[in-house]
Amino acid sequence: MSAHTPVFCSIVPPHLLEHLAHSPRAAVAAVARRTLAADASARAARALPRPGSPPTAAPRAAARPHRTVHDCRHGTDLPGGKVRAEGEEATGDAAVNRAYAGLGATFDLFLNAFGRDSIDGSGLPLIASVHYDRDYANAFWNGEQMVFGDGDDEIFLDFTLPVDVIGHELAHGFTQHTANLEYFSQSGALNESVSDVFGSLVKQYALGQSAEAADWLIGEGLFHPNVQGRALRSMKAPGTAYDDDVLGKDPQPAHMDDYVRTSGDNGGVHINSGIPNHAFYLAATELGGNAWERAGRIWYDVMTGGTLTPGTRFAEFAAATVKAAKDRYGDGAEIQAVLKSWAAVGVPVD
Amino acid sequence: MRIRVRRTGGFAGIERSAEVDTAGRPDAGEWAALAGAALAAAGAGDGDGDRSRVPDGFSYEITVDGRTVRCGDPGLTEAQRTLITRVLKEGA
Repeated sequence: MSAHTPVFCSIVPPHLLEHLAHSPRAAVAAVARRTLAADASARAARALPRPGSPPTAAPRAAARPHRTVHDCRHGTDLPGGKVRAEGEEATGDAAVNRAYAGLGATFDLFLNAFGRDSIDGSGLPLIASVHYDRDYANAFWNGEQMVFGDGDDEIFLDFTLPVDVIGHELAHGFTQHTANLEYFSQSGALNESVSDVFGSLVKQYALGQSAEAADWLIGEGLFHPNVQGRALRSMKAPGTAYDDDVLGKDPQPAHMDDYVRTSGDNGGVHINSGIPNHAFYLAATELGGNAWERAGRIWYDVMTGGTLTPGTRFAEFAAATVKAAKDRYGDGAEIQAVLKSWAAVGVPVD
Repeated sequence: MRIRVRRTGGFAGIERSAEVDTAGRPDAGEWAALAGAALAAAGAGDGDGDRSRVPDGFSYEITVDGRTVRCGDPGLTEAQRTLITRVLKEGA
């Protein structure tokens, strides 16, 4: 990535750049083309197999995203009216364009880093609906598509703003099509954590950030400026993302000693996800470089390896990451980093 | 009539709750009708817990005079959605 000269803010996904490259405004088109060229070389470098690593499944040469963005126009009927299909021009609605770009950024990570054609591995069309309900301060995955609210303009801004939130929602679809972790208690916290991990990787990949350079925040930029907080969650330091008079303090634990038992939030799936989140952060920063290359690959292998069950708990997931590290990289730095990271969050692997 | 709404989960995982006491309010009858409709719709799913919820969808507990039902996005009825919105907005 050191050779990657940022010419356009590289959070702009290639699909949007391709569109801009054909802009009637010559200056815009030229900058977009330069960025595309820089991105292409950087991605080719990333895609090179590591010495000694087993070959990965080659993505289909023609794999392309199939995106559709709908507008609920503040109602709750899904998916709402279609406003932008794959390859169509940007609209005048920034939420629509952000959702479209975020779908593309997520597609790019799964294809380029893992050789996966869309979140199901078979070119699943990616569907998002924006402007859901009124003052709706949430985003969710309904089993078929992503849904985004505009925020309440008091605590939360528009949920399409952070690209990792878009990646997080689509990663719920990835989990649904792979390990299908039950959305309750420890398996639910793992489901949430996998979405934070891949959501953060979408952002890191789009920005070309190494594990050291990344902020490891989830939902940075989503809080209204009045809120005392940087983001919703921190993978680097769970429990420190916000501390606000109205919202209270970020309740996430970073260690099993502080595991939260609660009847709400499906047994605290958005709270206890801090523990596996921090394990991923520790493994990725211990290994260094781009987090999607080794730590991300190990987590991806676990999710797609067929050994998890819907009721998988933290200890079983941790053991699966150790096995995946060994299977792919042998007895090297990778397995040591993974073992160390789980021990540090109080989930030791025998 | 005491109507309490507890909202948990959602992408942020931040809990909110609020309660409205309709005693003496001029619109108490309207509240009672709305609460009745919201509870009736949730009756079939009562006791199901939170397991049927979609990832990142809000989970809700609606408690009316001591009886609690659970429901979640996006499977709310209009009565539930209206009641939840009003209680979280107007309640204390």
